[in-house]
Amino acid sequence: MNLGISATEFASQAKEGAISVEEFVAKTLDRIKKVDEKIHAFITVDSQNVLDQAKAIDKKIKSKEKTGICFGMPLSIKDNICTVGLKTTCASKMLENFVAPYDATVVSRLKSEDAIIIGKVNLDEFAMGSTTEFSYFGPTKNPWNTEYVPGGSSGGSGASVAALECLASLGSDTGGSVRSPASFCSVVGLKPTYGLISRYGLVSYANSIEQVGPVAKTVEDVAFLLNIISGHDPHDNTTVNNGRVDYVKDLKAGISGKKIGIISQMVGDGIDKEVASATTRAILKLQDLGAECIPISLDAVDHSVAAYYTIASAEASSNLSRYDNLRYGFDFSTEGYEFKAFVSKARSNFGPEVTRRMLLGAFVLSAGYYGKYYLKAQKVRTMIKAQLDEAFRKVDYLISPTMPILPFKVGEKIDDPLKLYLTDINTVTANLSGIPAISVPFSMSSSGLPIGIQLFANSFQEKELLQAAHALQETSKLPEVPL
Amino acid sequence: MTKIGLEIHCQLTKLASKLFCSCKAEYRNLEPNSNICPVCAGLPGSLPMLNKKAVEKATMISLALGCNIPEKIGFFRKNYFYPDLPKNFQITQYNAYGPTSIGSDGKIEIEGKEIRIRRIQLEEDPGRLVYEGTSEKTMVTLVDYNRAGTPLVEIVTEPDFENPKQVRVFLNVLADLVENIGVSDPYLEGAMRVDGNISEGDGNRVEIKNVGSFRDVEKALHFEITRQQSLVERGITVLAETRHWDDARRITVSSRSKEEEQDYRYLPEADIPIVLIGNKSIEQIKTQMPESIVARRDRYIKKYGMPTQVADVLSSDKFYSDLFDKSHNEKNAKEVSNIITTDLMGFADTREKKLELKITPKHISDLADSILENKLTRNSGKLALQEMVKTGKVLSDVISSLDLGHVSDAGSIEKIIDEVFKEEEKAVAEAKQNPDTINYLVGKVMRKTKGKADPATTLDILRKKLSV
Amino acid sequence: MVERKEIEHLGDLVKVELKEPEKYIKQVEQILNYFDSLDKVDFHSDDILRMEVASENLRDDIHEPYGDSLIEHLKKDQNNFIRAPKMV
Repeated sequence: MNLGISATEFASQAKEGAISVEEFVAKTLDRIKKVDEKIHAFITVDSQNVLDQAKAIDKKIKSKEKTGICFGMPLSIKDNICTVGLKTTCASKMLENFVAPYDATVVSRLKSEDAIIIGKVNLDEFAMGSTTEFSYFGPTKNPWNTEYVPGGSSGGSGASVAALECLASLGSDTGGSVRSPASFCSVVGLKPTYGLISRYGLVSYANSIEQVGPVAKTVEDVAFLLNIISGHDPHDNTTVNNGRVDYVKDLKAGISGKKIGIISQMVGDGIDKEVASATTRAILKLQDLGAECIPISLDAVDHSVAAYYTIASAEASSNLSRYDNLRYGFDFSTEGYEFKAFVSKARSNFGPEVTRRMLLGAFVLSAGYYGKYYLKAQKVRTMIKAQLDEAFRKVDYLISPTMPILPFKVGEKIDDPLKLYLTDINTVTANLSGIPAISVPFSMSSSGLPIGIQLFANSFQEKELLQAAHALQETSKLPEVPL
Repeated sequence: MTKIGLEIHCQLTKLASKLFCSCKAEYRNLEPNSNICPVCAGLPGSLPMLNKKAVEKATMISLALGCNIPEKIGFFRKNYFYPDLPKNFQITQYNAYGPTSIGSDGKIEIEGKEIRIRRIQLEEDPGRLVYEGTSEKTMVTLVDYNRAGTPLVEIVTEPDFENPKQVRVFLNVLADLVENIGVSDPYLEGAMRVDGNISEGDGNRVEIKNVGSFRDVEKALHFEITRQQSLVERGITVLAETRHWDDARRITVSSRSKEEEQDYRYLPEADIPIVLIGNKSIEQIKTQMPESIVARRDRYIKKYGMPTQVADVLSSDKFYSDLFDKSHNEKNAKEVSNIITTDLMGFADTREKKLELKITPKHISDLADSILENKLTRNSGKLALQEMVKTGKVLSDVISSLDLGHVSDAGSIEKIIDEVFKEEEKAVAEAKQNPDTINYLVGKVMRKTKGKADPATTLDILRKKLSV
Repeated sequence: MVERKEIEHLGDLVKVELKEPEKYIKQVEQILNYFDSLDKVDFHSDDILRMEVASENLRDDIHEPYGDSLIEHLKKDQNNFIRAPKMV
């Protein structure tokens, strides 16, 4: 049995009874047992219940009962997305034992289509980071070379899909957190338009810009998952009705006659040579398929990282205030403490990156500095959006490398936060403006590390975006993961 | 000169659900933490879902207080740590970056004095804290989140009050108003809470918080004014500070907290999009609104020719103006308004007393008619009213049981006048000389008839008999 | 320059006891210096991007009790209160 098949391939085989769901899930558990000690993608594996769920779905399929379209596909879920009965730790000491009494909307929608949640995967604490090194439970490693980081913050999602520990995963993308690990782990990752997917049950980090995003082996799989999880949710004020678009249909429409803008600010100086050459090759391939590629300058991108970290830190400092250990949290008795001392003591258990961002957030929001930092960062957002609107009047898509650099070694940048922040230069634009962006695996470096290409489309143009991503995906044949 | 401003927190008690979730808005008398859900308990991953009706009700309050309502309203987070705040921030409204709160720049006239409303904002109530333990060492704080997320409207006035009496009148009017437009029952415990700020002359502003009951506001303000004035007299500067009302000792106490300089780090609440309040929906809300106090007052003046003062008094009291509207007809309106404002309001001036009144619109209407038809003098009317208020008996029963029937037939009055003439020979002689003293004799007749004689008839007969 | 006093004040605002405030001083300062690049932006608009919703699309005012007893999932005392430290 091949664990390397795509999720959609699995679904069609399971539907026809060509695959036993139970057998596939058992094999997947074996695979996790075998490889996860090397890559540490999982925080929790639900080995107790998933086999029973798989058996029940096999039974439904056999007896021709109505079965959900996932047909028991094992999925992993980033551990900042709430799941009933499984811990949702956010990779933090603060929530190390927290079990949400409810499923996130995305999770309940997957479950109602007979997906199996095989486990919860690692992330940077509260999704703050781009390497998955800032996890209370220790770092996740890149399946292509375990000395390297898998990207982040959804490093567990990227690594678990790449390492064939599940068929697909849900991550969350606040500043590139789905696309960075997708790029570094050679899988597909989509950051949908803000408002397309419910955030109910996604633990907030920077709630004005983040979205849940699918991570999968193929663009088809991403489209398939998007069909299930997208659309208006009565539990989230910020979701919109997308008119039940079918993202799978016409996926292979191609990109002939389409215009693609190459973002000058993302392909110039300062990007890795191999990444740059891969990007050039990708552009040539797309031109071969009949697309017209022209350079587009978005000068607001130069300010995007500063604006992103200002806004994200500000929102983080507020979103994480609720973790005071009074209502839930780790065991820590209030006896003998005065309120403020208790809370400050409990909250000293946040890791260094989260603490840093909360301090920064408090600073940029404080009375004297609001105008200098936060307000300007908000105006940069408006500026980026205006420049993108202008660009999308000329082109259908924008293109850039997902990450300006190749995956780097674990520990290499952990002590230099600013350097790490600057690696987000290509991804944060989509979050600040709300537009969708996808990372598609395209190439391998000479050292055998993955390189992903990023495509953008205008708001709520996921269908078109996935068509272009599919076209790009078909231009390359990539090796199997050496694990 | 004393300047007083108010911040009034008014719960929207007439709603079914909380401001951001479907838990019950009415939290009173429930088991601790039995009216909570992931949203109002601030669990990770939960999101606030704004209550449509709460926006409507807050709009009604803003309209009733003559505020401007913006096309778009927005919500902000006010960040501070406190155990009654499940998220350690409060979702509220804030105006520093453009007017996005539900109301601003309003005004309301109270007894001829204009009180400006600075801002009205919609926000969530925190949970409730209960303190347990006797000594400082053993003290713990128990938290009940049943109230957390209850819809609250904060009304902020300009410092336009000059004395605590104006504040009391304003608060009564405001309480009536929110009750009148059907947004709140202001008399429920904790439904309406008031903080004040006071300054004397050019002195510093002192905030008064924690005034438990509505009635203590006036007392707290009185205390604080006296305190500040005596400081000024002794040449001591009044400190800008927050003081708490100590209910037991009936004084204000400095809260000596270093939190004075709170930095709330206001932040737009991205989980709630900007809400578009269309003109259409405002017009629709207007049609649902009962008549405003001002409109009611104008109607009284225009339609019934009531003196401004009577119209003022009547229109700003929901209970009595409702009674008026139900009692009067085209003919007796003025008489009804007289009965209510000069007599009835004197009998019952507090809410408790009003609730005890056994009076119905029919009582008032009958009474006014009887007076107008000359069957009862105003004096007897007042006695009848007093009896009806206490017993609820119909007017005719009260008239016969108290023998208040009007004496208007000339024969009976003449008999009584003859008696008076016998007793008051001197006065009769004087009246013949000087007709201006005739009122003395009228008074005597009235006393003999216990006020039942018709004054006009009495005067007529007197004049005839005295040939003046 | 970010000073120790300032970092500690920020720590107090977000209620985190900083075990090694010095460690944060340099990093926060470095990042804020980078944020200062926002001063150089030439803005043509003061608008701020925010999502909008029509008031009629907000949640209807209906009471629906939470299906589960939430307090059972929280830290509580025998009377179902949440216990907080003394306030002083």
